[in-house]
Amino acid sequence: MLKIENLHVRVAGKDILKGLDLQVKAGEVHAIMGPNGAGKSTLGNVLAGRAGYEVSAGSIHFEGGNLLELEPEERAAAGVFLAFQYPVEIPGVNNTYFLRAALNAQRKRRGEAELDSMQFLKRVREKLAVLHLKDELLHRAVNEGFSGGEKKRNEIFQMALLEPKLAILDETDSGLDIDALKMVADGVNAMRDPARAFVVITHYQRLLDYIVPDFVHVLADGRIVESGDKSLALKLEEHGYSWIAERKLAGAA
Amino acid sequence: MATGFLEPLIAEGATLAGGQAGWLGRVRANALAQLARDGMPAARSEAWKYTSLRALAQRAYQRGDSDAAGRSIDAGLLALPGVDGPRLVFVNGAFRADLSRIEPIDGLQLHTLSQVLESDADSLQGPLSRSFDDAADVFARLNTALAGDGPVIRVAAGRRDLPLVHLVLIGAAASTELAWHLRGIIEVGEGAALRVVEHHVGESGQAHFGNLLTQIAVAAGGRLDLLQVQNSSESASLFRRSEARLAADAQLEMRSIEAGTAWLRHDLAVTLAGDRSRFVSRGVFALRGRQHADTRLDVRHAARDTACDIVWRGVADQRSRGVFHGAITVNPGADGSDAQLSNKNLLLSAQAEIDSQPVLEIYADEVKAAHGATVGQLDEQALFYLRSRGLSAQQARSLLTLAFCRIAFDSIENTALREHVDALLLERLPEEVEEFASEGAPA
Amino acid sequence: MTQAMQRAEPAPREVPPSPGNEHIVEAMNRRYDAGFVTDIETDSLPPGLNEGVVRWISERKGEPAWMTEWRLAAYRHWLTMIAPEWAKLRIGPIDFQTISYYSAPKAKYKSLADVPKELIDTYDKLGVPLHERAKLAGVAVDAVFDSVSVGTTFQKELADVGVIFCSMSEAIRSHPELVRQYLGSVVPTADNYFAALNSAVFSDGSFVFIPKGVRCPMELSTYFRINAGHTGQFERTLIIAEEGASVSYLEGCTAPMRDENQLHAAVVELVALDDANIKYSTVQNWYPGDENGVGGIYNFVTKRGDCRGARSKIVWTQVETGSAITWKYPSCVLRGDDSVGEFHSVALTHHHQQADTGTKMIHIGRNTKSKIIAKGISAGRSQNSYRGLVKIEKGASGARNYTQCDSLLIGKQCGAHTFPYIEVKNPGAIVEHEATTSKISDDQMFYCRSRGIAEEDAVSLIVDGFCKQVFRELPMEFAVEAKKLLDLSLEGAVG
Repeated sequence: MLKIENLHVRVAGKDILKGLDLQVKAGEVHAIMGPNGAGKSTLGNVLAGRAGYEVSAGSIHFEGGNLLELEPEERAAAGVFLAFQYPVEIPGVNNTYFLRAALNAQRKRRGEAELDSMQFLKRVREKLAVLHLKDELLHRAVNEGFSGGEKKRNEIFQMALLEPKLAILDETDSGLDIDALKMVADGVNAMRDPARAFVVITHYQRLLDYIVPDFVHVLADGRIVESGDKSLALKLEEHGYSWIAERKLAGAA
Repeated sequence: MATGFLEPLIAEGATLAGGQAGWLGRVRANALAQLARDGMPAARSEAWKYTSLRALAQRAYQRGDSDAAGRSIDAGLLALPGVDGPRLVFVNGAFRADLSRIEPIDGLQLHTLSQVLESDADSLQGPLSRSFDDAADVFARLNTALAGDGPVIRVAAGRRDLPLVHLVLIGAAASTELAWHLRGIIEVGEGAALRVVEHHVGESGQAHFGNLLTQIAVAAGGRLDLLQVQNSSESASLFRRSEARLAADAQLEMRSIEAGTAWLRHDLAVTLAGDRSRFVSRGVFALRGRQHADTRLDVRHAARDTACDIVWRGVADQRSRGVFHGAITVNPGADGSDAQLSNKNLLLSAQAEIDSQPVLEIYADEVKAAHGATVGQLDEQALFYLRSRGLSAQQARSLLTLAFCRIAFDSIENTALREHVDALLLERLPEEVEEFASEGAPA
Repeated sequence: MTQAMQRAEPAPREVPPSPGNEHIVEAMNRRYDAGFVTDIETDSLPPGLNEGVVRWISERKGEPAWMTEWRLAAYRHWLTMIAPEWAKLRIGPIDFQTISYYSAPKAKYKSLADVPKELIDTYDKLGVPLHERAKLAGVAVDAVFDSVSVGTTFQKELADVGVIFCSMSEAIRSHPELVRQYLGSVVPTADNYFAALNSAVFSDGSFVFIPKGVRCPMELSTYFRINAGHTGQFERTLIIAEEGASVSYLEGCTAPMRDENQLHAAVVELVALDDANIKYSTVQNWYPGDENGVGGIYNFVTKRGDCRGARSKIVWTQVETGSAITWKYPSCVLRGDDSVGEFHSVALTHHHQQADTGTKMIHIGRNTKSKIIAKGISAGRSQNSYRGLVKIEKGASGARNYTQCDSLLIGKQCGAHTFPYIEVKNPGAIVEHEATTSKISDDQMFYCRSRGIAEEDAVSLIVDGFCKQVFRELPMEFAVEAKKLLDLSLEGAVG
């Protein structure tokens, strides 16, 4: 589904990603772990198409097409979803209105019929029930005055509603207490599907207790330095990221 | 159209400029011609919207004090706790070497304008050639035409850790009402740092008109901390204009405490001319009696990633009137500008008035700009809290009012100096505040 | 305040631009849907202004002598006045002798049934139904075409409950005692240059009278249309709500696209007696001129409400998207104790438009309250200023004001400015003012786009959210129209 080859990315003149390779197949959950500043969030932003991230080499293919050629909204319509680390507040814009505008924009782009407000609301209620969220969320402006946890839950709610093919969760666990974390994980697990893939970016192993990954990758200094199964995350938790660096050194020697 | 205030001053200025040749003569003659042509600003002048010049225009002052050199000054008047470094003292507009303390310090020049005009006049041509083309700038024009002396403070590039410079401007009692005009120059070299206290004091009862125009230039990476403690006689009038231009990465931090004078106008004009330059202003006026204080800030962002951070407080009691105008302009292309202004005021009497006018003029889009202004009273809940802890209503009010003002100077690191300012304000705060808040409050 | 305005200053010197959101700005094209001309035979005065013109207008309208004298006094005073110098507006001198002060469709219509199809169609095209079908909309409409009212709907239904809703001309004929009592009592003829001019030459406008205790059963609305070239429109509106009465009044404005600047100098007076409630909403879409700043309406308007009675309330809501130059400050004089004034405004400027708009809240009575919410959006090369006065007089103990002004910049060549004046003379008052200026953040744009919303729609969405606080104050039909207008203005915003 997603194929990243030799990806080099510069931000504000600084090389952040330096030859990253990653392949994600439908139905898989990949965890990307790594120390601060390794380029984890850069990866998420490049996939979603944020301006200011210059791809200096390499390629990203999504379902066979060149993802880098697409505008952010085209990527969304193609099925790429980024759950932001810091979701932005949009004052005055009602959450429900925003979601309907987004969903219908995507459907229109895909040549599907737009949902009328009754159909849309029905769908919203279903998703709310699955995520155990309150109606009240819908009546507020997008992320405005939301607590950190509410913002993250709103991201997961949007994901549930928009039903992407590839969801990238950028440090969705940061700043969450254990109950909120479980709720986010439940939301993700409920959406696991043979046709859908997840890339879970996180600093801590904690989230992976609840969203069990098929693969774990360690991102350090702009590339993937180690890949393995979920046991790799536990080892990282035990030994810290320096362990990887030491192992690399030992390997080189 | 000349008036009672202007006429004699223009006449004396003409005598003064008569014998002068060269650029300085031309600059002064030009200012005099402008004054003779435009006179006092019209009643509708936007810059003087809240400060009437009618009364002042009818008062006549004698220019300069011929006895200034001999007047005896109480040492206590010019002392400032925590400040014992170099000192420049002016009495009724005349320099007093006997009261000053100038020791040679490497990289720090402390001179008077008249000295520099004699020894190295051309080094002053830049700042002194400044022309004021708006008729509203009547006092700056007067200063241009009449100021023959003033402090000149220069710091060489890279010099830091210099002692605090104490600049004292004293109004001394005289048999007539005097008008004095001083021109100050402060130049901070590249990467240098300087701290200055501009200290206004006066013998009580004197009702002079003072006019101080200070031009400040901070070169790249330099920093100036300027504390203005204005505690002139409560019958004096003072016009003060502080102009500053900041080069790249330069920083100016000003703290202004306005306590004295019957009539005060303070123009504070800052141009953020270099990228990443930054201006911080903290100020407070605490007024009583029939005091009138008009502070007019004008900050211009003319380069990228510049910042200004302005916080002013005002307290008006009895029959006083406090005016605050805070304008911030962001030029086209001055992207990355960050401009913040807050002006809060306490109105304590039914005969007092507060006028606040924050202004934003934004011509660039990559900006963060915000301002806020309030006029109101002390928080009733806070008052109640203090009283429930045993303070009298009056103590509680004084304490909260002082706390309200403190934001202007609580970052002064010199403890003795900070406590002095604290005491200065506390002494001025109302002893008996009428309970207005309850008067008109809805049931 | 207007008297104190300064001469326009030269624009600050430009420093080289940095890369920014040009992509948002680039294709910001604006469509003006109301720019057509109706071909109808008109009766116009030749250009020029003198006492004869003032007399002619008064005579033409069959006015009583006192009205003619009132106009002439205003005219003579106007001659002694000096045109204001504009603070932030760049405007050439206006030659008042090149303007025609009267233009009206030739025929006279006894009732709406007589109004010719071209005119009905004109208003239909503008979304203002004048025919029977209008009843479904539940809004009574007075349609003003150039200098005169061409018809008012629902007059009978309103008369049944004692509400008078008619053209100003008719009010002067049928209710002279009311007009005489209230006209000029809020905005005196000598108030300002354009108010004096309006007092001399006003040709029509709407008159509303809600008697004591009556809650007006439907929304009242006037639709102003400038059609003829080289004419000025000078309408006069007077709304009186007696004790305990309430009314909601809407006003809409459009004009054809012409490459001349046309002058619109209206005066609106509102009077609210004890416990009365007046809600006045405007959607102003006069022709703004083309993308090069050629043509467009000069919209110089004096609007003032007098909360004369205790506990009275006046709410101004305006959405200003049109006009080459807008200069208006809908104000409230809060005379009655416990009276309330509100001002909610969205002003959008684009291309070379200039807007200088805001409000004045004059607190005189005790426990008076005012609220100001102003949202400015600047795009293209436009300049958009908020200018407002909050004045607390000595006797206004317990007065409260809250003001919030937010400006949004779209593009690098426009300006957004905020000029509040706060004057407080009572120590029992609390005044709070807050203002911010920013552009649409790149983060907000990216967030919307990453959810699948195209750039142009994202701009429209964010602008709509920015204005939400004000739109909420508009009656439903107008809120929809206002939102459409903004969307239209931002159409093609991104390429």
